[in-house]
Amino acid sequence: MIRQLIILFYILIGVLMPSVSIALVIGSDQEEIYIDANFSGEELLVFGAFYSDPSQSRDSKSDILIEVVGPLEDVALRKKDSYFGFWLNSKSVTFRDVPGFYYLSSTSELTNEFLVNNQIGLLEKEKSEMIDWSSLTTDWGSVVNEKEKKEFYNALIRTKQNDSLYKQVSDEIEIIDGNLFRSYIDIPNTVPVGEYNVNLHLIIDNEVSQEYSYNFVVTRVGIEEAIYSFSKNYPFFYGLISLIIAIIIGWSGAEIFKRFRKI
Amino acid sequence: MSIYLPIAELSVNIFLLLSLGGVVGFLSGMFGLGGGFLMTPLLIFIGIPTNVAVATSANQIVASSISGTLGHWRQGLVDFKMGGVLLIGAFFGSILGVWIFSKLVAIGQIDTVISILYFALLTGIGLSMLIESSKVIRDRIRRKSVKQKIHYHNWAHRLPFKVRFYKSKLYISVIPPIIIGFVIGILSATMGIGGAFILIPAMIYFLGMPTSKVIGTSLFQIIFITALVTILHATTTFAVDAVLAFFLILSSVIGAQVGVLAANKLRGEEIRALLAIIVLGVATKIALDLLVEPNEIFNLSVIRLVF
Repeated sequence: MIRQLIILFYILIGVLMPSVSIALVIGSDQEEIYIDANFSGEELLVFGAFYSDPSQSRDSKSDILIEVVGPLEDVALRKKDSYFGFWLNSKSVTFRDVPGFYYLSSTSELTNEFLVNNQIGLLEKEKSEMIDWSSLTTDWGSVVNEKEKKEFYNALIRTKQNDSLYKQVSDEIEIIDGNLFRSYIDIPNTVPVGEYNVNLHLIIDNEVSQEYSYNFVVTRVGIEEAIYSFSKNYPFFYGLISLIIAIIIGWSGAEIFKRFRKI
Repeated sequence: MSIYLPIAELSVNIFLLLSLGGVVGFLSGMFGLGGGFLMTPLLIFIGIPTNVAVATSANQIVASSISGTLGHWRQGLVDFKMGGVLLIGAFFGSILGVWIFSKLVAIGQIDTVISILYFALLTGIGLSMLIESSKVIRDRIRRKSVKQKIHYHNWAHRLPFKVRFYKSKLYISVIPPIIIGFVIGILSATMGIGGAFILIPAMIYFLGMPTSKVIGTSLFQIIFITALVTILHATTTFAVDAVLAFFLILSSVIGAQVGVLAANKLRGEEIRALLAIIVLGVATKIALDLLVEPNEIFNLSVIRLVF
């Protein structure tokens, strides 16, 4: 309902305020992603329209940018080193408040300058040259020199990308009819539970012209939620029930097959 | 078709899980083993986090050792008194084991330690099975019969606190079985195994137990060690995945029964040699993972808040 009102609001802006030549109207197919027993990742649909005054032609230089930021988490990044021929974990760095999921997509490739100026994006390699180390809450441990810090930062992004949790693309937004856009965002099965921010930016002449944000949540439901919370809240009874299930199946399996063999 | 595992927090193919449980169950039924020594590394290979693989394997072994114990119990081949004494040691061993385990998780070395322990264990098991089965095959070809000693007397018979174990016809000190139980407890908690592979030779050679009572007694006490390890992991590392355990137990119990039937129809040595090769293959894979420079030398783990 709220979503519809907002869309209506934007349409009204477009109609009533001719000075705004392009307005952004968006929607999404869901506000919640449920992790149930069958969950194996999902595709999130984000769609919308560049609403413009029909009498004017749409500015061809306008671009759409979609950013999805997952819940923040603390991660430990460990580097392996060779000791007597064995590859063992050695140095470790803890990064705090790192997004558990990050997705950035745009209708055309954006310059680093643009992303830096607007504080968007965290994946481009070039950008890590100018990381403000003090802004990252990080426990560097035994990592001291700048070169190694950069190596760790790049490895953080790379390992998240390998797990399909971080992604930056410029070819996933479909433009239909010149006025409508649609994008399917891959949510892999390893996504963290929590609140996700979707930020849409309408970019005209390298400037953010309009922004629109909304949230969706990834949440466990049904048996998944029941088992997870039971294991956290009543770990002893959870262990006990796991045992009882094992005992029942183990026992009855032996009994059933014993009958089989007698026949 | 896939199923989402609530504790491992990822989804896996349900048929992959069922066939993994079925194959490990089949092997364990055929050879009278718990199968944890194959289950844990195979779970890690398919992408289950190490801590979940270890804790859930322990839960699965409870089921398979109950199935196994029932048969031996009916035939009166379980020495409950000896099992009880072993358990005293195992109780403290597994508490220490889970404590070591959670420390290793905290400092990020659990994967490495598990790999090294498994490499050592599997190489030992694989080589000894290969040697033993090839000897039997060779002796069969030469038509020789193998003579075995019935009873061993060693230092274990000279220690204090002697107790009479009527079922095993032994009069020995309780110290060696308690120490053996303690070591098995540590290994069970850190590796997610029942430990029969170490326990059985230890009971025969160190304690001098009669071979007929050894398997039943070891299975009996493995039920309790792994049950304790399951509870300890559930309450300290929160790594027991009940959904994963359910599918593994279901398929392994069926697999084990089929394995028992198959064992009666097939000749043991060749299959044992085959199992030895499988075990050595898994050991080689683990060794390669440790020795070959990995493609990605960084690894990431999410520090979750327990709430």
